[in-house]
Amino acid sequence: MNRDKVKHLAHFAVTIISKDRPGIVADTTEVLFRLGCNIEDSSCTMLGGDFAMILIVTHEKPFSKSRLSDEFRVLQERTGLVVHLRTLHEDEIAPVKDEGELCLISVYGSDQPGIVYRVTRALADNMVNITDLNTRLIGNKDEPVYVLMLEAILPSGMTVESTSEMFETLRTELTVEIGVRAITPVSL
Amino acid sequence: MPVQKILTFPHPLLKKRANKVDRIDNSMKILAEDLIDTMKAGPGSVGVAAPQIGVSLSACVVDVSENRHAKENNHGLLVMFNPVIISSNGNSVMREGCMSVPDYTGDVERATDVTVRYMDLSGKIQTVEASGFEAVAIQHEMDHLDGILFLDRIVSLKTGLFRRKNYS
Repeated sequence: MNRDKVKHLAHFAVTIISKDRPGIVADTTEVLFRLGCNIEDSSCTMLGGDFAMILIVTHEKPFSKSRLSDEFRVLQERTGLVVHLRTLHEDEIAPVKDEGELCLISVYGSDQPGIVYRVTRALADNMVNITDLNTRLIGNKDEPVYVLMLEAILPSGMTVESTSEMFETLRTELTVEIGVRAITPVSL
Repeated sequence: MPVQKILTFPHPLLKKRANKVDRIDNSMKILAEDLIDTMKAGPGSVGVAAPQIGVSLSACVVDVSENRHAKENNHGLLVMFNPVIISSNGNSVMREGCMSVPDYTGDVERATDVTVRYMDLSGKIQTVEASGFEAVAIQHEMDHLDGILFLDRIVSLKTGLFRRKNYS
């Protein structure tokens, strides 16, 4: 599909959550394919015993949300997966341009409430934009360990070193390890 | 010499193995200049392979000396014909992008140290021992000569940094 030539008229965010089983992606994309929708961007992963899909879907012709909704209702009734649809506005369509240093922040330590909140609040207060985030509870029942991995873009004026220093208080208060590393994609 | 247009996938030349260069003649000197000029014109570019500019010959240029990833050791401008990796060591992962595959990056595992034998612009056989970012750049450009894109080598999804694992 040549993006320069095609003006998409309709943009939707589609969220699907289902008890995990083989065929969720195929079932979902079959509906989209039959309707003539394009998947512009997507991220899908296993979460616990569920499989979660988030897709940005477009259509080249005028296309109503209710038509999409009707088609998914059939799938929902047949397979039990849960679908949520949202129409995207003009200003949500283009991705925010990545500027500034990309870094990976790894946080891990004994499980306790507030790890994700405290770390992400510190980032938000410093205008650090998170681009990806994963969390996972590991370890065993007696010694549960919480792991948070995220990728974020540092605004100008912040460096990997200053970001790491910013977390010094949190490291002590939460007794967690917080590492900050540059990723910096290389153009070859 | 003019800066050449960088071909982007799905141009078929990018998936084709390039032909060996028999000898260095004037056309090879022109090709080398085109590769160098095209590399220098690309923002932050540290290498170009001949198939990327539409020439299916085993030739590439690499120069990481201006890049902040290559502070340690580098060999400046390398112009290589028929390069072959004769030994390699170690491995490291770097997030790579490619001018022939715009708007996409991915984590690729490469050897940390490589020894490469190649023919230089005067037709002499040379050997270079590269490491770090220079080694990564050489391996990426040499892949183009075999019709391999970094997409063929992605080792993890961007969110797969701690992928769930079944030990059973």
